[in-house]
Amino acid sequence: MTTHAERATAAIPARAGIGLRAPHCREIIDTRPDIAWVEVHSENYFGDGGQPHQFLERIRRDHPLSLHGVGLAIGSAAPVDRGHLDKLAQLIERYEPGLVSEHLCWGAAAGRHLNDLLPLPYTEEALAHVCARIEQTQAHLGQQILIENVSSYLQFRHSTIPEWEFLAEVSARSGCAILLDVNNIYVSAVNHGFDALSYLNAIPAAAVREIHLAGFDASGPCLIDTHGTAVSDDVWTLYRAAIARLGPRPTLIEWDTDIPPLGILLAEAAKATQILEHVHAIAA
Amino acid sequence: MPSLPELQAAFARAVIDRDEAHIEEWISATPALDASARIAIYRNNVFGNYRNTLRQVYPVVLGLVGEAFFDRAAEVYVARYPSRSGDLNDFGGQLGDFLAEWPPSAHLVYLRDVAKLEWAMESAFHAADAAPLDLQALAAVSADMFSTLRFDLHPASRIVDSPYPILRIWEVNQPGYNGDQTVQLDAGGDALLVIRRDSAVELEPLSPGELVLLQDLAGGKSLGEAHVHALEAEPALDLSAVLQRHVLGGTLVAFR
Repeated sequence: MTTHAERATAAIPARAGIGLRAPHCREIIDTRPDIAWVEVHSENYFGDGGQPHQFLERIRRDHPLSLHGVGLAIGSAAPVDRGHLDKLAQLIERYEPGLVSEHLCWGAAAGRHLNDLLPLPYTEEALAHVCARIEQTQAHLGQQILIENVSSYLQFRHSTIPEWEFLAEVSARSGCAILLDVNNIYVSAVNHGFDALSYLNAIPAAAVREIHLAGFDASGPCLIDTHGTAVSDDVWTLYRAAIARLGPRPTLIEWDTDIPPLGILLAEAAKATQILEHVHAIAA
Repeated sequence: MPSLPELQAAFARAVIDRDEAHIEEWISATPALDASARIAIYRNNVFGNYRNTLRQVYPVVLGLVGEAFFDRAAEVYVARYPSRSGDLNDFGGQLGDFLAEWPPSAHLVYLRDVAKLEWAMESAFHAADAAPLDLQALAAVSADMFSTLRFDLHPASRIVDSPYPILRIWEVNQPGYNGDQTVQLDAGGDALLVIRRDSAVELEPLSPGELVLLQDLAGGKSLGEAHVHALEAEPALDLSAVLQRHVLGGTLVAFR
């Protein structure tokens, strides 16, 4: 194992990073392109050894790293999978990530995992449950986590709290930070007919420590969060509004299906960097 | 109004089992999309994730049965062997057993072992790294103690033994293979060592005695016991040659 002293700092800068995906690892190691920071799906490194860890150790030397979980499903009513939490804790110890995030969703019932980011009902019961789970997770990991809003394709009739209030309240009660996915706000706003800017304005700025951007699919009767295309113009507009309101924040370009050449991903990140720097310039 | 556990249990049944009792009345419908259509979006995503996971782990099985058959098998597999982990990398390990018991594929007798080979390769890919065996310490063991030694196999090694020629089946189904595609199913079986010494997973045929020897060592038997057993399977087995190959080749990584 490499000594940690040889590594890039852990802190994630308020610049644009990219989601690190297996097809790009070799190229990043060989060509060392200018990437401000990278984020990986935590579960992809739950294995004990081999090439995924060899590559990540190497890339971690040059770049700050964020760990983004897709499988803890923090809102499931079923008991917490302590083995999952233990593996995440080991990963944190091994890689010293600057940020650790999970999703505001659920994913398993009666022992069956759906391995998807499923929507919660926004009720007092769910709020209390999610907050308790986040507190348990933060205690287990010994650190604060970020919670990300997800795209959704349905709403439950018995929800009593708007999603933006629910997310703000989760952060206030549990002490977690917020990973604001601007694309997910847009997708859900279109799907459910609410105003994306009002959502944005209801989020406590100080709690937002990271922003996600990605592309969606608009071919069906409802927008689907596929992470399989470029960021849409509408989402860039919403992102500009977010940065204007929040100030510069670490911003990640996510691309998970139909993964393009690295250059395209870096060009998307450059667009985000331009917006981040533009806001810097105005503020200065 | 359902409790959180009730809602999630009903949602899971609606998505996986297509049993939409109760859930529909708990979901807001719009003229464009009723509750059932909204559940279907999630079902599509969920089954798409399962299917893609299985396709990535089992490319040879996929090639052997074709996409349509594979996708149908994947759907039934999920119902019978649901995902038990939030980590999709844990999903799919029983596909071989499923294909052997599922009537549409049960007659493809070799499929189970081909699937087991692909799962072994997948699990070896992610398994722990290991330092090489301490050759100096091994050389220092006195000759009369040698048969009492117990060896550890590399944590990223697996043994797959089949009455069917699974290595040949695997080879002719690799991308870029342009040779003769014919496989004689009765050509005899393959015993294979699946091992990742550095980053790539490799397949190595094992002789009958070598197979027994490694299986016994992996099971915790002493070298002496394993040797006696291996000679029954292969009377001409050259123990020192086999040991040298697996010590220097990194199959055996520790002893005590």
